[in-house]
This record gives sequence, structure tokens and C-alpha cells, in this order.
Amino acid sequence: MVTGKFKSTLRYLVSMLVVCVFVFPIAWFGLTSIKPISAVFNKDRVVVFDFEPTFENYRVTVLGGLKSDTKSNSSILMGTSGEGAYDGRGSILSSLVIAICSTFLTTIIALLAAYALSRLAFRGSQGYMHWILSQRFLPPIAIIIPLVFIFRDLGLRDTHLGLIIAHTLINIPIALLILKSFFDDVPIEIDQAAMIDGASRFQCFYLVVLPMIKGGIAATAVLCFIFSWTEFLLSLFLTNSIRTVPVKITTFVTSTGSEWGYISALGTAAIIPGFIFILLVQNHLVRGLTMGAIKD
Amino acid sequence: MRDQSKRSLLPRWLTSEHPLPWLFPVTSLLIVFGLYPVLYSLWLSFFKRNPATRKEKFMPSWNWEKLLADERVWDAVQITFTYTLLALSIQLILGLAIALLLDTDKRGFGVMRALMTLPLVVPPAVTGMMFLLMYDSSFGVISNSLYALNLLSPTAPILGTGSTALWGVIVADVWQWTPFMVLIMLAGLRALPREPFEAASIDGASSLQSFVFLTLPMMSKIIALAVLIRGIDLFRIFDYVKVMTDSGPGTATETLTAYAGTVYFKSANFSYASTVALATLILVLVTSSIFIKVFKVRF
Repeated sequence: MVTGKFKSTLRYLVSMLVVCVFVFPIAWFGLTSIKPISAVFNKDRVVVFDFEPTFENYRVTVLGGLKSDTKSNSSILMGTSGEGAYDGRGSILSSLVIAICSTFLTTIIALLAAYALSRLAFRGSQGYMHWILSQRFLPPIAIIIPLVFIFRDLGLRDTHLGLIIAHTLINIPIALLILKSFFDDVPIEIDQAAMIDGASRFQCFYLVVLPMIKGGIAATAVLCFIFSWTEFLLSLFLTNSIRTVPVKITTFVTSTGSEWGYISALGTAAIIPGFIFILLVQNHLVRGLTMGAIKD
Repeated sequence: MRDQSKRSLLPRWLTSEHPLPWLFPVTSLLIVFGLYPVLYSLWLSFFKRNPATRKEKFMPSWNWEKLLADERVWDAVQITFTYTLLALSIQLILGLAIALLLDTDKRGFGVMRALMTLPLVVPPAVTGMMFLLMYDSSFGVISNSLYALNLLSPTAPILGTGSTALWGVIVADVWQWTPFMVLIMLAGLRALPREPFEAASIDGASSLQSFVFLTLPMMSKIIALAVLIRGIDLFRIFDYVKVMTDSGPGTATETLTAYAGTVYFKSANFSYASTVALATLILVLVTSSIFIKVFKVRF
């Protein structure tokens, strides 16, 4: 039994090491966000823990404090100029509005389509599913250039509504396929029983089946929120003045240098909503990531 | 009888009995903002743009001939395939290994499995930043560790050197997406029946033998599915390259999507940028269709 015990201890240690490797970059980023400038940019050695923690970076990026206050006792000058250049409040608000609205829109219209695809047999439903799937695999770059023109003509360029539509477009195939797999889990006899009792198709959907897949809907919504919150390419092409958080952060890198303190503060703040949400949907994560192909 | 009375009020295709009202919102959105742009792209690719006059002329084959003769495109195709295949194999092997490691109900492993999912929610642009910080040639923690081990010289920064830049990007991708593979493989391992393994161990099979002859064949469907999803996402990689190297140094990390982006942003040649983007789409469709046929992937 000694070897058995040794083996299980070894397995535990190796697992811990692997997990630490995967958590390290996030931890390092978070640590950098509370370091004073002198510790971040120390050229002689890498500063790990021996520094005075400061929340200056968060004060500037998340709370919109003035940058000049922090720089008074520092000789390092770099980055973009302008007082509001590092104020991330507008970006956080934009990202939130866009993620929440597109999640709402995606979930509602995907629910309708997913129910029909799960319950109403019709000619071409298989082809329709394939079309939806092909939308998921469409590289965004293939639609982004015309989308810029279409959005310009419709007045949607550089608006919240435009990005809400764009993110909805990207999330629809994923949400639809996941939700269909949840609907497929509900026995069709339940619909039949409700309709024998006199419910219409829509009443059956809204009053009977929807409440049964509440957990699945929540998981889908969470994934849509995360996809929208982390999206980069569409936001980069479709907006100039409205900046979502991921795009805003990249503007902190300039030709004269990168403001690592501000980047790591806003970056760490951008990770937190995702962390909270993903821990809530651990049970349905695999189904979500495989678009319903693998049920957990 | 109830149905009869309803049918008299509305045509059937407007009632909730018919799929049309249910599918209408999704379908119209996908046609207007998904299908139409692809056709629009194709239309754009038929125009020759004169950079001097900024006028466009209808010449259907111009951009496509230019595409085939463009060495940067062929380089980008090669870089995209290299990137996809390297990152995919590393993620698959690591993902399977870590899944086997974490697949136990012993104390503490549940927390470790949850922690493994955290990289998945980091915005890819932020991931790029994290690795830029750690790669920094003067104060980056990864660079300095490699200097200490004599594996890297400060004169050849990871992302600034042609031979290592692509690896620098791949490491970020592997960090972010190996957890995806781990999760899927864990789900696959958990769904395996126990009996064949018990029978094999009674017959004296080693754990390596039961892995190769039982686990892998039984997991083949799930592995194919994970490879397909991940492979397509890798092929259209944009965020990491844009944030970390901006296709550089030179064009050492210029993938197809990055090249399309460069043509769009730097030379504003929208018709040619569309052509490059469509070429990416065609390659994705062809490669994934072959993969789906060969490995019989089903959703």
C-alpha cells in the first residue's frame, strides 16, 4: 500500500503544479495591478512580493481618477496623453450595456427558434440546423468588411445598438444549438399532455416547457454574456469612439511604451465578471462549449 | 375542433403551430447580417480598386488572380496552418493528459477542476496583454526566467524574433484553450462505462494498454468533435496576433485573418481585403467539411 499512497500523493502534487501553471498568468496580472510603478518597471530584477500595494491603477482606470495625481512623484513619463485617456468607466459601461442587451436579445430569439427545431417537425429542419452550424464556424473576418458598410448606411456604425446586433449575430448559433439540446431533454409527451388540456403551442412553450429548462437558459445566457464581454474583432472594426473593455485596454499600449499598471488594473477588472459567472455554470459548461453536442 | 376554429381566424403559417413565426427572428437576423454580408463580400471581391484615384472598376477575376499570385497570402496560409496544427496538437495532448490526471473523486480535485476553467473567461485581448507583460524583455517574468536558465538571450526577445514569435503566440493560445480540451475530455472520461476496464484489468492489461485499446477508441467521437471546434477557432485566429505581435516581426506571425485586417486597415483596399477574408472562409469550409466526412462528426 505504500506505493499506492505514494502514487496518490504524487498525483495530487502534479495536479497542483499543473493548476498553478494555469492560474499563474492571472495571478501575476492581478499582482501587477497593485504594484507601484517602480516595482512594475524594475529593470534590474523581477519584483514579486516586496512592494507597497497600491490601488492607484484602479483609481485611475475604474474610478476615473486623474492620472496626473499618480505621476507627481514619478519620473517615468510615457503612454498616451490626455486626462481621460486611461478612464475605463465609459468602456465598462458600454461593455455592460452591450453584453446585457445582446444576451437578452440572443436568448429570447434563440429560445423561439430552438423550441421550433426541437418540437415542430418540418421539411428542411435538418438543413436549417446545418445552416445555423455553418454560421458558428463562419470566420467573423469574412463578414466584417461588408458589415462595416451596411452599418454605416444604416447609421449603426459606432453605436451601442450596432454592437448589440453584431454580438447577437455571433451568439445566435451557439445559443440556439445549446437551447435545442435542453429542449430535446424534455420529453415530448409533456407538450402533448399540455395541448390535450387545451393549451396552445405558444402557451405550452411559455407556461410548461420554459420553466422546466430554467437552468439551461441561465447557463446559455451566461455563456452569451461571456462571449460578448470578451469579444474583440467586431468591436475593433465597428466602433471608433465607443470602446468595449478589451479594445480599450489595447489602446494603453503605445509606441512610447505600455502602461502596465493601468493595463493590468483594467484587465483584472475585466476578468472578474467572467470568473463569477463561470463558477455559477460549471454544471453546464461542457454542453455550452460543445454547443449541446456533449451533454453533462 | 379547437384547431378548426383557430384556423379560420389566421392562416396556418401565422399560428404557433407552424415553424415560421418561431424561426422568423433568427432567420431574418442571420440573413440580413450573416448571409447578405458574405454575398456582399463576394460582390466587393469582383472590383479592382485603383489606389491612386480610389475608383473601383468591375473586373471579376482581378482580385482572385492577385490573391493566387500574392506571396504574402501563401506565407499567411502556411503560417495559419502551422499555427493551427501546432496549437491544436499541443492542446489536445495536454488536455487529454490533464483530464486523465484530474479525473478522480478524491478530495481537492473538484476545486482544481474548477480552477482550470478560469482561463476560458479571460478576454483573448487581455490574455495577449498578460503574455506581453510576462514576455517583456527587461522586466517580464517569463523572459527573465528563461535568461536565468540560459534558454534565451536578452538580445533576441521572444516576440521580436522571427523564429520564436509564433511560439510566443501559440503559448498564449495553449494557456487559454487547453482548459477547453480538459473539460471536454473530462466529460468524455466520466461517461465511459466501467465494465470493459474491469474486464481488461482482470485479464492482466496494463493501464497503458487499456488507455490505448479502450479509452482512446471509446473517446474517438468526442476527440473528433473537440478537434473540429477548436481547429476552426484556431484557423480564424485574430485577437492574439493583433494584440501581441501585430503580424510582426515583419510578417513572421501574419495569419490569413491578420493579413485581411492589415489590408483593410493599412491600405484601405476593401475589395482585396474581402477577397483574402473570403479565401479564409473557403479554406475553413473545405477543411472542416473534409474533417466532418472523414471522422463522421455529428452534432
